[in-house]
Amino acid sequence: MEDIAKDTLIRASQGDVQAFEEVYKASSSFVYNVALRVVNNREDALEVAQEVFMIIYHKLKTFRFESSFKTWAYRITANHAINFAKKHSRAKTVPYEDAFGEGAVANEFEAKIDQEHHSRLVESLLAELNPDQRACVVLRDIQGLSYEEIARALNININTVRSRLKRSREKLLSLKKTIQEAGRS
Amino acid sequence: MKKCGHFKDLILADYIDGELDKNSTRGLESHLLDCSDCRAFLKEVKDNAARPWKQTPRQPVPEELWGAIKQRIEHENETAGPFADFMDKLKGFIVFPRMVPVFASLMLMFFAGSIALNTIQVQQTQAKDQGEYLVSLLGPAASSVQAEDNDLGTPIEHYFL
Ligand SMILES: [Zn+2]
Repeated sequence: MEDIAKDTLIRASQGDVQAFEEVYKASSSFVYNVALRVVNNREDALEVAQEVFMIIYHKLKTFRFESSFKTWAYRITANHAINFAKKHSRAKTVPYEDAFGEGAVANEFEAKIDQEHHSRLVESLLAELNPDQRACVVLRDIQGLSYEEIARALNININTVRSRLKRSREKLLSLKKTIQEAGRS
Repeated sequence: MKKCGHFKDLILADYIDGELDKNSTRGLESHLLDCSDCRAFLKEVKDNAARPWKQTPRQPVPEELWGAIKQRIEHENETAGPFADFMDKLKGFIVFPRMVPVFASLMLMFFAGSIALNTIQVQQTQAKDQGEYLVSLLGPAASSVQAEDNDLGTPIEHYFL
């Protein structure tokens, strides 16, 4: 997320729509992409991102400027996306066989994969994780946040971040093994 | 090797995330030189659990998002209008902490005032009664109007007349 000048945040907190648009421009890529990966669907991600910005717009009035806007926005985004994903858990739209199964070569990731196939792969892998694990993986592996930043965003301790990441990765490893074995037999 | 489980744990999270401290990193890396099993595990984790995400491109934010947000804000501002602004200010005034003692003392003054006023009214009422009593003592001449209305048959008049 890009840095936002304090002056801009103050004006936005007073209801200045133009200043709020600047806040939006600096943070919309983060908010939308986190939402997209946690809810794992474009339409839902748009809904979540819209809600997140309305929350930011309203709560900016009571935002204490000593704390970091980024951390605060990370938290609102992650919480909102996780809650949405938990409430609206959908059937998996992409069968995970597409990711590793028929037609997928053993060292798929070594091969040059076209973008469409890759985004289907990402969707199907994320669909294997629960929303809490998904949020950790998205914040760490896609957004590049540190364990400490993730812990603050999700309001959990660092050990929980660590164990959620570990479990997610174990899940993916065992998923690949299962599919490869099924492919061989 | 006996410590492989411990090292694999580190590989799965802290090591590939760059969160492992220098000492532990040195320990793990010297183990990796000796242990082909852990080396294979590291490669597997990197290829299959970390790499798919690293190649994930950021999706561009759909343009309709800002439009939808702006519309909602404008709609809220229209429906809120000056009345809601006034209510907000009023609420702010009422709950404003420094106003509480002021409000409390105003209330106290009001009650104290009304009690004092009541006392005065009671005294005035009593005074009025006493005045009528005196008038009646002075007889029909002093209370010309009253005298016409009152017949002479009241016990007090009987007593004085
Ligand atoms: Zn080992």
